[in-house]
Amino acid sequence: MLPVANILARKVRTAISVLAVGVGVALFLVLVGLTSMLREIADRTTNVQAHLMVWPASDQVVLSGGLPADKVQADLERIPGVERAVPVLRWPLKMAGRVQNVYGIRPEDWALFAGPDRIVEGRTLADGDEMVIDTRLARAGPYRLGQTVERWGRSYTIVGIAREGVAGRVFMPIQTVSRAMSQDVLRASFLYVRLARPEDLRTVREAIEARGLRVITFDEYYDVLAESFVDMDLVIGAVVFVAAFVCFLVILLLVYTMVLERTRELGVLKAIGASRLQIFGLVMAEAGLICAAGIGVGFLLTWGSRALILDLQPLWTVAIPPVRFAYAALLAAGGTALGAIHPALRAARQDPVESLRYE
Amino acid sequence: MDTILEARNLVKVYRTGAAPTAAVRDVNLAVRRGEFVSIMGPSGCGKSTLLYLLGLLAAPTEGTVLLAGADTRTMSDGGRTLLRRRHVGFVFQRFNLLPALSAEANVALALRLRGRPVGTDAQRMLEAVGLNEKRGRRPGELSVGEQQRVAIARALVTRPDVLLADEPTGNLDSEASERVLDLVGRFHADEGQTVILITHNERVADRAERLLRMRDGLLDT
Repeated sequence: MLPVANILARKVRTAISVLAVGVGVALFLVLVGLTSMLREIADRTTNVQAHLMVWPASDQVVLSGGLPADKVQADLERIPGVERAVPVLRWPLKMAGRVQNVYGIRPEDWALFAGPDRIVEGRTLADGDEMVIDTRLARAGPYRLGQTVERWGRSYTIVGIAREGVAGRVFMPIQTVSRAMSQDVLRASFLYVRLARPEDLRTVREAIEARGLRVITFDEYYDVLAESFVDMDLVIGAVVFVAAFVCFLVILLLVYTMVLERTRELGVLKAIGASRLQIFGLVMAEAGLICAAGIGVGFLLTWGSRALILDLQPLWTVAIPPVRFAYAALLAAGGTALGAIHPALRAARQDPVESLRYE
Repeated sequence: MDTILEARNLVKVYRTGAAPTAAVRDVNLAVRRGEFVSIMGPSGCGKSTLLYLLGLLAAPTEGTVLLAGADTRTMSDGGRTLLRRRHVGFVFQRFNLLPALSAEANVALALRLRGRPVGTDAQRMLEAVGLNEKRGRRPGELSVGEQQRVAIARALVTRPDVLLADEPTGNLDSEASERVLDLVGRFHADEGQTVILITHNERVADRAERLLRMRDGLLDT
């Protein structure tokens, strides 16, 4: 009763404190949610009926050079246990305001990337200056079937739209991409390798690596991708720290001010029978209520921020699994407890006579 | 009548300044159950300190207080809190109501802190002090006289053995003072409430059955 009354009696301060805790919570959820973009890319890239990716050994995953596609494909398919090698030539193409990695593939390899039921409009790739895009890019563009995209004097027609989740947002015939890149020999940025038996993965890997190529399994791909974004874990750790620190600092200042401001009141409470534990409990309850309201506001801010981000940047991903809301609540509660505990103890230990004489 | 509150060789020395100051010096006092005692003296003579010692809000430098037969000499802070909670009600010069709570919630708080059910006790006590119709108002919405009556209701709602009143009329005009003193007198007369009242006002002190004078920390019994 008393904590609620105290909070309601100081509406502006309470509102500011609740908002500050809410910002901390939303900061954590949205920023950590944004890091899920990498996971989304990794999930898409490995959503292929294959087991391995083969890259040029010397290059990074993101900025690959190129391998002679036909030669490497033939070489890989000679390795015992390899069922099929599929070259992919990537080409940066600006669409929907962002550079997209076009997946240049052989039209006959489409089945490895998606079944025919994945096409929600139009058809799969055939040949020539055409492309298949995913639904998300189509929405973000917006692009519609039959529309053309210009690049360096050539027009590429959208012939199909695939349900999002396929490896690339844009697919084009590999020959078309090669021509657009003015290659004299067909090259591949990397190759997907499908094994006859997944149990042979280790021996196949060794055989490929013996050829001076880099092998990345689908399980490893996210970590490799994350490594290319310097210190991703450090960034997430910093976000968690800042969010918890905001909660801690806000609550510390709020409760400390409250204890100072209500010194006399705390003395009165002792005089009318409150024990140290009760005083401690009252102060902590007040901080707890603000924290709880801040968590609620934080969830609302997160919902709003996520909607805004996706509206402004439709191709971004802000994935927030339900369990992360629980983590955010725990983070705020932890920060609150740390921030409130010292002033609450101070309040509990205050000399009642000095408190009563406090002006 | 039995003794409800007793001070034995009570000394309180404050060591905040350069030299220690004795606020209370060797005070001996016994108050019987149902007695109305006033302690009178000029400002700074140690009256309030003595009241805080008697109400177990402060620990004496020397001597002891016996409340309801319990010697508090070696008691912990928690033990003193429990004893104070059970036996003492406080009324202050500045009322000290909690501004965020209504009159009724202020009175009920004393019960809640003791883990007692509130029921209609708070309301009945406000009725007894003539403020039932203003029970929903906050202290800021009440006159100073009304605030002090709420404070008395808060102090007495738990049926304490001893009511300690520190200059309860110090901030009131004469009409409000009379009303508050009448109220305290009525609880004493009708319900045998033990009252120890601190004042520097002779007229207020005269309301008591026994008048004690205090000067420079010494009690003239």
